[in-house]
Amino acid sequence: MNFRKFLIAQSILIAASSVVFPFYLLLIKNVGDSYSQFGWAYGLFTLTAALTYPIIGRLGDRYGDKKMLLIYTLGMAAVMLLIPLLYEVWQVYMIQIMMGILGAIQKNTEKAFLARNNDNETAGERIGKYHLQISLWSGLGIILTGYLIDFLTIASLFYLISFVYIIASFVIIKRERI
Amino acid sequence: MKKSIVIVSTLYGIGLILSLWLYNHKPIFIEDVGQLLPTKVKEIHSATSEAELQSLVKESINNNEKISVAGMQHSQGGQTYYPNGVVIDMKKYNKILDYNPHEKMITVQSGTTWEDIQQKINPDHLAIRVMQSQNIFTVGGSISVNAHGRDIRYGSLIDTVESFRLLTPQGDIINVSRTENSNLFPLVIGGYGLFGIILDVTMHLTDDELYQIRSRSIDYQDYPDYFTHDVKNNENIRMHIARLSVAPDSFLRDMYVTDYELTENQNNLANYSELKRDTLAAPQKFMLGLSRYSDWGKNLLWDMQNKLYVGQDGNYITRNNAMRGDSKFMEYDNPSKTEILQEYFVPIDEFSMYLDDLRSVLEKEELNLLNITVRYVNEDNEAVLSYAKEDMFALVLLINQGKNKKEIEKTKKVIQKMIDVTLQHDGSYYLPYYSYPTQAQMDEAYPKNKEFFEQKKQFDTNELFMNLFYKEYSQ
Repeated sequence: MNFRKFLIAQSILIAASSVVFPFYLLLIKNVGDSYSQFGWAYGLFTLTAALTYPIIGRLGDRYGDKKMLLIYTLGMAAVMLLIPLLYEVWQVYMIQIMMGILGAIQKNTEKAFLARNNDNETAGERIGKYHLQISLWSGLGIILTGYLIDFLTIASLFYLISFVYIIASFVIIKRERI
Repeated sequence: MKKSIVIVSTLYGIGLILSLWLYNHKPIFIEDVGQLLPTKVKEIHSATSEAELQSLVKESINNNEKISVAGMQHSQGGQTYYPNGVVIDMKKYNKILDYNPHEKMITVQSGTTWEDIQQKINPDHLAIRVMQSQNIFTVGGSISVNAHGRDIRYGSLIDTVESFRLLTPQGDIINVSRTENSNLFPLVIGGYGLFGIILDVTMHLTDDELYQIRSRSIDYQDYPDYFTHDVKNNENIRMHIARLSVAPDSFLRDMYVTDYELTENQNNLANYSELKRDTLAAPQKFMLGLSRYSDWGKNLLWDMQNKLYVGQDGNYITRNNAMRGDSKFMEYDNPSKTEILQEYFVPIDEFSMYLDDLRSVLEKEELNLLNITVRYVNEDNEAVLSYAKEDMFALVLLINQGKNKKEIEKTKKVIQKMIDVTLQHDGSYYLPYYSYPTQAQMDEAYPKNKEFFEQKKQFDTNELFMNLFYKEYSQ
């Protein structure tokens, strides 16, 4: 996987998750009936991520960043199909655990990929440019959603984003011509 | 590569179809502010036009579905829903249709809130005659429970309603007033949404007035006399509310009263007429929180409240502002507990003896009682399910309880005892709350309830309009 393709895939992924995130928070707050449940849901996410990072790191080294990123996009596409169906707290907890693992895959792969390039002299500049692009897309995604949500129900937003993740997975699968 | 894309697409397609199918069959749960009756319903519809409402009703007639009508859902006994039924949410049906400041009349769609009306009429120095102490409720919901509030010169809400239009169980629209379809007037008002959908309501308004707040402490034994001689007989006192201590040190003995007295100089009205917003909720919420958990907190809260409210003595307030009580600080998010209301009505001369009996019951029972306010209601013989058989004091009790079955049973036992005491003193209780009262208690407090349910069945033969309250007490 070359840097350019990595950048395109990451831009789509980050934008998609920025779009969904505020609505997802709203949803888990509504399903749970207290802030302590909200705290648990969020805590589970972070804890599973923490515990899976070392394994994910090793898997990444073994199977390569491309496969890891592919698992992430397909996993997220599936999770987005599940989110509109949630109505009980235990279901939210399960989803949070899945998202914890997937989130860890994404974060670890992103950092591992950036670290694998051997241009120590200009690493700062390169990562800076990378963040510029990623953040731009994420910002655009959030702003766009502000308008989009007037025309969509929250459930259809999750379906739409699920589709975007699938598109991202096609970008990753595609042979490296770009 | 192509193969992978084909596999991914196929699997994704299957997943998507499965997800959409499940989403369409996802159960919808609804609950009211009491949180004790989460119930699965078929659909929740929100309508903005008469035509939409009419077609929803006709559709439900054809599909043999049950309809419940919902406003803010502050009734706590499932008055706004029914298992597998269709809930019609009226909150967006909220236009002000006609407003005539000269005749002091207003016509509003039933999802309009008191707040909406206050915003509209305040610039003309007009005010609402009768409503609850908070302004968050819809007009339709308030009419369906025949609400009352701090005003002591008018009767219950039924008094101020001129007419309304009703969407009937047959899907027709009819006018209802004291002269037209007059038999329905006292049934629909205080009728808990069982006779159809109230579409729009024409109500009488009154002048906005400037009041001076008179507030002081008083012993419960002196209260009935004080009210009769100093409040009721003083024509200038237009509104009144009292609070009764739930603190262990002064339990059901100490009170403080707040009277709203018309000032001589009404020219200053404009200086005070800007509508106030909810005050900062955090300190009150914190104090209420302390009193939930300890007797110590209850004593502290009572002392603070006493200082706070008595400290308002001499302040000026307009009628409109006196009718916008804070409600935010009472919002309560706890996973296992909820806060419920009870309201008991007792004749004025029974009040002291009633409290003595109530105290001796409660001293033996375990009940987390957080607050009691006392209001006055004028006799109302108009509504069929009238709670005010004579001029009465109304005690509103705020109770903290657990949501599980055991806690519900525990609270039920205490509440049934409290209602027994109330009935022994020729009192009654208010119906919008959880179905703790027994059928026998219902029959005693509301002697006309059989007639009410009989009329309902005659008017709505297929029982299109249904709710949990009707199911519980109409058998």
